[in-house]
Amino acid sequence: MELNLNHVDYLQVGVTSQKTMKLLPSVGRKATQKVAVADHDGVVTCFGMKKGEAVPVFKSLPGQKISRLELGGALGTPQEKIFVSSGSEVRGYTKKGKQFLTFEANLTESINAMHVSGADLFVCASYIYNHYCDCKDQDYYLSGDKINDVLCLPVETVGRIVPILACQDRVLRVLQGSDLQYDVEVPGPPTVLELLNRDGGKGGEEVLYGTADGKLGLVRITKSGPITSWELDNEKKKGGVLCIDSFDIAGDGVKDILVGRDDGTVEVYSLDGSNEPALRFENVLSESVTSIQGGCVGKEMYDEVLTTTYTGWVSGLTTEPQQMVAGPGDEIKMSRETQGKVSALRAELEQLQVKVLQGREKYQQSSQSSTAVSAVPVFSINDKFTLCQDDASYSLTLEVQTAIDNLLLQSDVPIDLLDVDKNSAVVSFSECDSESNGNFLLATYRCQANTTRLELKVRSIEGQYGTLQAYVTPRLQPKTCQVRQYQIKPLSLHQRTHSIDQERPANTLRLTGQFSFAEIHSWVVFCLPEVPEKTPAGDSITFYFQNTFLGTQLEATYCKGEANFKSDNISTISILKDVLSKEATKRKINLNISYEVNEDSVSHTLRMIHPKLEYQLILAKKVQLIDALKELQVHEGNADFLIPEYRSILDESAQLLEEYKKQPAHLERLYGMITDLFIDKFKFKGQNVKTKVSQLLAILNNYELDSLMDFFSEA
Amino acid sequence: MLVPIFTLKLNHKINPRMVAIGKYDGIHPCLTAATQAGKVFIHNPHTRGQRPAAHRLSQSTQDSDISLLNINQAVSCLTAGTLGPNTTGHTLLVGSQTNLLAYDVHDNTDVFYKEVTDGANAIVLGKLGDIQSTLAIIGGNCALQGFDYEGNDQFWTVTGDNVRSLVLCDFTADGKNELLVGSDDFDIRVFKEDELVSEIAENETVTSLCHMHGSRFGYALANGTVGVYDRTARYWRIKSKNHAMSIHAFDLNADGVVELITGWSNGKIDARSDRTGEVIFKDNFSSSVAGVVEGDYRMDGQIQLICTSVEGEVRGYLPASKDMKGNLMDASVEQDLIRELSQRKQNLMLELRNYEDNSKALPGVSEGEFKMGVIPANTQLQTALSVRRATEIQRAHIELNISTPNETIIRAVLIFAEGIFEGESHVVHPCAQNLSGCVRVPIIPPKDIPVDLHIKAFVGGKTSTQFHVFEITRQLPRFSMYDLSVDSSATEPTGKVTFNINDRPQRVVMWLNQNFLLPEGIDSPDITFTALREGGLLRINMQHSGEITLRTDDIDLAGDLVQSLASFLAIEDLQAEADFPVYFKELRTTLTEVDDFHSVHQKLTAAMADHSNYVRNMLVQAEDARLMGDWRNMKKRYIELYDLNRDLINEYKIRSNNHNALLARLKSVNQAIQRAGRLRVGKPKTQVITACRDAIKNNNINALFKIMRAGTTSS
Repeated sequence: MELNLNHVDYLQVGVTSQKTMKLLPSVGRKATQKVAVADHDGVVTCFGMKKGEAVPVFKSLPGQKISRLELGGALGTPQEKIFVSSGSEVRGYTKKGKQFLTFEANLTESINAMHVSGADLFVCASYIYNHYCDCKDQDYYLSGDKINDVLCLPVETVGRIVPILACQDRVLRVLQGSDLQYDVEVPGPPTVLELLNRDGGKGGEEVLYGTADGKLGLVRITKSGPITSWELDNEKKKGGVLCIDSFDIAGDGVKDILVGRDDGTVEVYSLDGSNEPALRFENVLSESVTSIQGGCVGKEMYDEVLTTTYTGWVSGLTTEPQQMVAGPGDEIKMSRETQGKVSALRAELEQLQVKVLQGREKYQQSSQSSTAVSAVPVFSINDKFTLCQDDASYSLTLEVQTAIDNLLLQSDVPIDLLDVDKNSAVVSFSECDSESNGNFLLATYRCQANTTRLELKVRSIEGQYGTLQAYVTPRLQPKTCQVRQYQIKPLSLHQRTHSIDQERPANTLRLTGQFSFAEIHSWVVFCLPEVPEKTPAGDSITFYFQNTFLGTQLEATYCKGEANFKSDNISTISILKDVLSKEATKRKINLNISYEVNEDSVSHTLRMIHPKLEYQLILAKKVQLIDALKELQVHEGNADFLIPEYRSILDESAQLLEEYKKQPAHLERLYGMITDLFIDKFKFKGQNVKTKVSQLLAILNNYELDSLMDFFSEA
Repeated sequence: MLVPIFTLKLNHKINPRMVAIGKYDGIHPCLTAATQAGKVFIHNPHTRGQRPAAHRLSQSTQDSDISLLNINQAVSCLTAGTLGPNTTGHTLLVGSQTNLLAYDVHDNTDVFYKEVTDGANAIVLGKLGDIQSTLAIIGGNCALQGFDYEGNDQFWTVTGDNVRSLVLCDFTADGKNELLVGSDDFDIRVFKEDELVSEIAENETVTSLCHMHGSRFGYALANGTVGVYDRTARYWRIKSKNHAMSIHAFDLNADGVVELITGWSNGKIDARSDRTGEVIFKDNFSSSVAGVVEGDYRMDGQIQLICTSVEGEVRGYLPASKDMKGNLMDASVEQDLIRELSQRKQNLMLELRNYEDNSKALPGVSEGEFKMGVIPANTQLQTALSVRRATEIQRAHIELNISTPNETIIRAVLIFAEGIFEGESHVVHPCAQNLSGCVRVPIIPPKDIPVDLHIKAFVGGKTSTQFHVFEITRQLPRFSMYDLSVDSSATEPTGKVTFNINDRPQRVVMWLNQNFLLPEGIDSPDITFTALREGGLLRINMQHSGEITLRTDDIDLAGDLVQSLASFLAIEDLQAEADFPVYFKELRTTLTEVDDFHSVHQKLTAAMADHSNYVRNMLVQAEDARLMGDWRNMKKRYIELYDLNRDLINEYKIRSNNHNALLARLKSVNQAIQRAGRLRVGKPKTQVITACRDAIKNNNINALFKIMRAGTTSS
């Protein structure tokens, strides 16, 4: 069955964080529910809809930015108390707006995740987890990587307290008291946790998670260990998941899964007979969806999916059928409610305009004075810079509260800027003066009106590292611009994994010297992405990485005074060696570097590249033929005379072209990496083979695995 | 929401901008488009399978509705319409780089087949000015040519560069059509028959033009701009990162005024209001749009808008019916209105907050304020333009100096300007060590055009992450790359143009001050410049009698100066005497080269014919040998045939090189005529062009130079 939902806007509040909107339970049957939403201005707004107009129940005073909003109450009673976390403080409000709790968690950092269950309160700062019962400290845990979300299995059904932390290093950590019970490995950095059906399913153990790279999964947290029910890949490359809810929007008696993503996608999945999720509905808003809830808000009897977006729009996707509305030119037909709304807004606007004019005048006057200063408050930017596994490129998304006027991108390393279909801004590349000012990329994006969100793609080259800077100028007076910096790390295409294949032939790099654990950790952070900035607890640590482009791997194990790196790709080792020795020299630390090169590893890497390269070459060849074959087909009237191979190219031409378009410059990148491999192999032998690169390229142009291997071993 | 009323998949690729609809039998409209392999297809769903295959026309075997027309040359433009006075059906006109074919599809005969040396990049059919018969006007390399139904050359003139687009439109509102020509040199020129009445400078190649209504017309540029002009006044324009493939005027919302329909390279179709450019409708194809036309394709008396994609998809849209009230889009108007108002409110609130927070900020800087980029309120940005001669390290340029009066620094400067940078913007981003309160931007305008520089400077402290954005607009005068200081060793220019004006010298001085970058201004019209681009001298001299002499070796510059001065002084007709010995000498060589290439061309054609005879003989002999079983001989013959084939290919290459060289020469001859014209204004200009053309036709080279010098036909 097709699900048909219509978009309705309700209200705009300030900028919102993830999971800051909840629906209060309804009073009586079939009545509309009230909405509680909190924003960065520190305001908690609770409102209900009456005749299409938002009627506030209460509004708290502004304060520090609110990071989470949860509902709670004594177990077994309606969960209608509102809890918000802001700074290091947790506040509680009744549904009438009376503040009944102020609790200072005494954390040095501000709270970024919170869960409430009866008298139990779970809060997390970046690395710290704290459990309070009746506001008394109970348990404490220090996580190895950043905590993105926290959840506790329902105590009523499970019978014990099982807190679960979603950590940036791709694991869910299941705790028992102050100790780690076990890790659950998930396919991406988890960003959000939610109980299935809001109660954890039959056993209360089923937990939904969403990841930063847009994957979705269901896992059962049993006493003995995790059982993965299903995982949903992100094939269409939608945005990362920010919020999940369970609600029966289809009205078939089974709860559906509602998902909100950071590219504005809202999805409804329903579970089929075998409990596998199937996409039922999709809608794209223009901004990232920070919270999602199912319920009944706008009109009795009509269920809806309620969302809040980054800029604070609370809007619904309702099952209520939309009447055809009149166009401009005869506004009489506009419903009376909307008319009232519009005129109220207009009046408000006029008042504001006057105030703004006064403000502007005052500001202008101050420019005459020689002592006054102009200080425009910092506007908030929601940004994300992540490595996409599929095409081994970085995606940068920027979101601002108001429309963006223009964006300047500057980089001090050579990177390629790729075109993104969703991005409608006009890009213009400026000439770079790389010698005098160290600019390798200067590009401006001039945005179309009403663009609050921009998505870009950047392709980096391993071994070349530096900073990418984005200057964002919104369309807001007085005009200001803010700069954001993103590190392009030396091994930028690597990604953390849970384990590696130990069978592969490996090259090793060993460092010894007078360095502390913190120092060597900071160097690793400098070289590799997805490593927590905080020095890990304990004496030594091991991280595993995978090259997203080639599939080669890296193991990093280090402690005070010693570090070991192991990789099947000799280029990876070479880059590490160069960067680490440079870093050590900078800090005047004496390093002993020793390395062991495994000759087999080179042919192993070449063999790993081979299928990719072959595939790309065949694809390129086929794509080249398409046009000529099509022409023959038109000329002869049909394609029957062609050999089957050519006919199949013609039949598949659409897919082939699509595939080819998806991976721009893939072949060039592979060639580049093979060339690096070649140079690095001989660099470790102390030979400079740069002169032979042209020969190598000649071999690559008539590629055959054996001849390439021979060339590598002969040269 | 407006949906297509029919969708067709034609299975033939469609070349962009080569789509037309013709009623070849006078009744049934047929979609006609150029496709691969030098073919034109005609889709005729109305008379199925009645058409015998003969002459050029053949039935497609894949689809019975489609007939293919063999042109055997790459098609470069096509159109259909009524050409002859006594024909019932439309005539199909197909242009290629060498020929123009007028074809009667119904009778399956050629109407005429003409060789056109300047090629046909664009074609338009209709009445022009006072010329009695309907003309097929083609635009090629710098030339415009009009043929009547008998193939007689009725109209000829030259234009500044290669023609890309043509349209007929009553520009002057005199009841007669003028010809609008868009060309590679970014200009839209308006011809009243062969007199150039108006010139509109754009900033990219003008790829499409379309007549809206009255004197209003739409245009599209190669950089993704589309817009609407009413005569020389631009109503609106928008720029997209995609390219506009085809534009068409059609009244889609049935309000009695046509909209501008644009088909984009990413497959988008949108309809924009002709007054504001506001989008009233959009739809998407899966591949790039090839052409947008209109016709009564269902034969029910209603005209549809018909859009085609390059992959052969065709969609037809009916104009909206009355009850849609012009609301063609999916979204509800009320929602949009409320959303827009709320957005405005939000923006005003934010601006107000900016002022409030600003007034709280007190002088006395703390750490946090550094980040905010606090600057003294009286900071004002100073800009200055000056001409800089070439030095050893830098080319000659115009220097834009931007500086702050106090200790604040300029983090980056963005300059948005049209037509002088590679993209639309230029960025200066000094590296962190070189930050200062002064930035020098070298600007080198490639052409003599007046440019508005929209400058955005990011001003703040050295460690700020947020900056104030100063926006300033400066105008660069038309002739800015000319320096007042004169090198005494520079050789005197030999070329000059002399003419008389009836104006005071003060007016000329005024013109000089406005159009040149003069630091102090001048008070005498006798002045000498150094041209920074080419390095020659430019001497301007005015006598009391009103005789002005411009001395320069650059005939283009002389032309630009004459045109600029004439429009400043509002001179309608201006006769001038000119002499450019260097340029004329070059032209003389070019003319002899044209003759040479012509004779080579003829020789090669003869050789080619010989070879084809050989091929025929050889093939017969080889096949004979095969039938006789004489393998040795057969092999020999085929080897010979192979060699011959290779020779033919080589010869073809020579021929094509020769042809390209010839085209280049012809283009420069056409340009020479245009340049000679540009030294005069109004009637004398038209006379010069016509006289030059006659001289070339009669191969009277001496007369040609005489005309160019004296500017009159009378010997």
